[in-house]
Amino acid sequence: MDSSWKRLSIRPALETILALILSIGTIQAHAADPQQTGQKSKRPNILLIVADDLGYSDLGSYGGEITTPVLDQLAQQGTRYTNFYVSPTCSVTRSMLLSGTDNHVAGLGGMGELLAPNQMGKPGYEGVLNKRVASVAELLQDNGYHTYMAGKWHLGLEPDQIPHARGFERDFSTLVGGGSHFDDGWNVEWQIPKMPYTEDGHPVEKLPKDFYSTKTYTDKTIQFIEEGRQDGKPFFAYMAYTAPHGPLHLPDDWLRRYKNRYDEGWDGIREQRLARMRELGVVDKGVNAADRLYFLPRSTSLAPAARVMQGRKMELYAAMVEYMDDQIGRVFDYLKEIGEYDNTVVIFISDNGAEGNDLRGMVAGQVGTLGFLHAMNNFAENGHNALGRKGTYAEYGPAWAQVSSVPFRLYKGWVAEGGIRSPLIVSGPGVQGTGELNKKAVLHVMDIAPTILELAGIEHPSTYKGREIAPMQGKSWVGMLEGNTQSPRTSDDWLGWELFNNRAIRQGDWKISWLYEPFGTEDWQLFNLAEDPGEQYDLSEKFPEKKKALLALWDEYVKTNGVILGERSPFEKARKTLPDPVPGFDNYPPFRGLEALPYEKLIELMGGSTEEK
Amino acid sequence: METGNRLTRLLAIFTVLTFILSFSGMTLAVDDGARAYWKGRDGTNVVSFQYLYLDMQASGTQQFDPSMYIYPDSDTEANIFMASWARHITLFNRPSSFALNFTGGSVDVDVNTSLIPPEYLPPGATPGSTFSQSASGYADPTIQLDVNLFGTPPLKSNVDLFNYEPTWTFDAAAMLAVPVGQYDEDKLVNMGLNRWYGRLALPIKYHFGIFNPGQMSSFELTPSVWLFAENDEFLGQNLKNDPMWQIEAHLTNDFTPSFYGSLDLLYRSGFQSEINGVDVGDELDVGNLGFTLNYQTTGNLNIRTTFSSNVFGDSDLDNSILRLQFVYAWNTASENLKRLEKGH
Repeated sequence: MDSSWKRLSIRPALETILALILSIGTIQAHAADPQQTGQKSKRPNILLIVADDLGYSDLGSYGGEITTPVLDQLAQQGTRYTNFYVSPTCSVTRSMLLSGTDNHVAGLGGMGELLAPNQMGKPGYEGVLNKRVASVAELLQDNGYHTYMAGKWHLGLEPDQIPHARGFERDFSTLVGGGSHFDDGWNVEWQIPKMPYTEDGHPVEKLPKDFYSTKTYTDKTIQFIEEGRQDGKPFFAYMAYTAPHGPLHLPDDWLRRYKNRYDEGWDGIREQRLARMRELGVVDKGVNAADRLYFLPRSTSLAPAARVMQGRKMELYAAMVEYMDDQIGRVFDYLKEIGEYDNTVVIFISDNGAEGNDLRGMVAGQVGTLGFLHAMNNFAENGHNALGRKGTYAEYGPAWAQVSSVPFRLYKGWVAEGGIRSPLIVSGPGVQGTGELNKKAVLHVMDIAPTILELAGIEHPSTYKGREIAPMQGKSWVGMLEGNTQSPRTSDDWLGWELFNNRAIRQGDWKISWLYEPFGTEDWQLFNLAEDPGEQYDLSEKFPEKKKALLALWDEYVKTNGVILGERSPFEKARKTLPDPVPGFDNYPPFRGLEALPYEKLIELMGGSTEEK
Repeated sequence: METGNRLTRLLAIFTVLTFILSFSGMTLAVDDGARAYWKGRDGTNVVSFQYLYLDMQASGTQQFDPSMYIYPDSDTEANIFMASWARHITLFNRPSSFALNFTGGSVDVDVNTSLIPPEYLPPGATPGSTFSQSASGYADPTIQLDVNLFGTPPLKSNVDLFNYEPTWTFDAAAMLAVPVGQYDEDKLVNMGLNRWYGRLALPIKYHFGIFNPGQMSSFELTPSVWLFAENDEFLGQNLKNDPMWQIEAHLTNDFTPSFYGSLDLLYRSGFQSEINGVDVGDELDVGNLGFTLNYQTTGNLNIRTTFSSNVFGDSDLDNSILRLQFVYAWNTASENLKRLEKGH
């Protein structure tokens, strides 16, 4: 009786307080409401999806044979872009993604794990998302958006550097670059043997037993949206998947989804992709892909068993991509179910090119080191049928990475197009060109933050929480998305990259790049990307003035962003760790048997079994 | 009347004839073993040498009769050597194996005659003493064919091995023993059975681990039936036996890539004996439990040991079997690969 009385008397008061809170919230939201700036009345939700180490041509809508129906459908609803650039590595891209400015300004002049001695302690080389920038999440959070994150952060480990401290009200994040996708949670880096996770700013003591990265991040995103949607505020959800970053891990029932699909080898798959890309218009007809990397064998020269062994890794990779696509579908289904899909702008990108480096080897290459000990204790299993499961470390290597990168050259870590060109799909309210393929726009990951802010009707401030912050260098795409322009950039605009001392400038169709040997000459080279997207022909001697002009832009890039070339680089010994660029597996001597005989017949004549594929 | 007495005596004599028969033919004494029906690449040869030590005591009502008299207490020891060769082949486009087994050794039986009526003692045996009989030589060689019916694709190449991840597998196997082993019709204990016999088996496996060295596990169940022709030179009598039903089961698990273990079960029943058209003794009812440990010393050589003892079924027949086995396997393609890797 007593409690009933209290309930009766308190309830109206609570309702009043709630109404007041809601009205304050509404006022706050209206303070930044785009209505005031004459834009759409209801601010859109933003769903920013980032894949980890996904190659340019992996998605079906970009010509890949991997089954990605959800993202293909997204592409049909929105627009695909073929000239979208990111950084060669993940944390560097993420710093630009969230800050809208160059990585050398935002604190990731180099990856935190790989800074050169002369870079340490210098502004822009903090190795974390620094305080010279405000994250797009911080600005959205302050302006009436719910801000959620699930997945990979990789922008700082300290309490004031983690997602919750940088604008995400809800998060379930791994703070480091990569490791097990399962609950054993080992980190690739031996220096931090276990991947640190946070949930809503608090350390996650123990991952749930059924943890699988892609699924859990999806679950959390849906959970955050569901738990926050009652107040009617729009949301910004950052889904930073860790797939298909190595180690290639999958739930058991997905392990053999692509069984034997890749036994034919990388050359055939690469050619088929290129043909589909031409059909789709992603690549212009008549444009050649980069040559097979000189140190890789022609896949048809491999014995059948070797092809199966190599193919298994690509099977795992493909299944990881499809699994991610499937999980993205769950989010879309949920948004449709709650009636928010049509008010959600979806942006899908990869953080860098496909991974062709031997990360496992870099971690555990030397017997007797702590890295080797770490590998020995956590991911030593390499049996063929065990790959993809807990305790294994499979990567698909440069041969398959160049398939994921087709038609481009090289892969993650390098500023060749294969390392920095990413798929980009944008769809949602106000995005024109349903199903269109935009090949004109030259876009950069720095553009995403200003685009999101403009969509949300938020101005980027010059100060944040009492400190001056760097202006955003990216250009908003809103005009382009609405169909007013084809690109936010003119032919005079240019883009620059520098990481691990590899460097590049692109202006219009022209690009200069400096790469360590053996992939480069350790001197500047000039390429015309319109005619030679595979960067096969150095035009330095033919167009010296163009090269000179671009070199001047490089100087400007260094000056503007405070670039400090490192005394050391993880690629400084690439020439010694990779074979010499001389004919070996290359097209010399001519491979006459292939032209003369079917592969099966060839094997049979060699005394092998025709049963061998 | 005389005929009646003769039959009564025979009934008594052969009370447990079934058991001694079950190991008199030495091939019978050996189970298939853990992972016996795992498949190898076509063309793989497997040579095995094994030594078995069998120890058995009959007591109480379960009596052991090495001759024509009733012997309620007896001890038997057997030292058996077995050499086998098996080859994995593809038959009817199914992974199969073909095996030959050659067995030899010796058996020694000691019987305490103190409880035996003097009239039932064999010639030369003294009441209150120990009666002994031995046999040695070759047992009946056997030939066996096993064909997979379901669950395993043809394993003709390394490609097939890479793609091989079995779950359920069903095989059919047939074994035939050729009666050329040592046999003395005046003795109860012999190395051979002096009759044709064979076995039909349906080996079933379920692989529930990851099919990867160090992570493999399996449950194996092999129901089978042994069939025997008549032996009309059994102590001057005609011996017939009902089929012997057998269930062999193993629960195997890899401890490391080169070391696995198994819990083993072997149960046998049936095998009702009939002498001159009259049932004698009881049906067999013996169940053994044991374990196997297998260590792969090199890519080719495995060393295996097993131990088992009867722990259920008829409690009056204690037996234990200890086995030490060396298994050497090779495949030409693998050996060639090794040669190339070694640079010669």
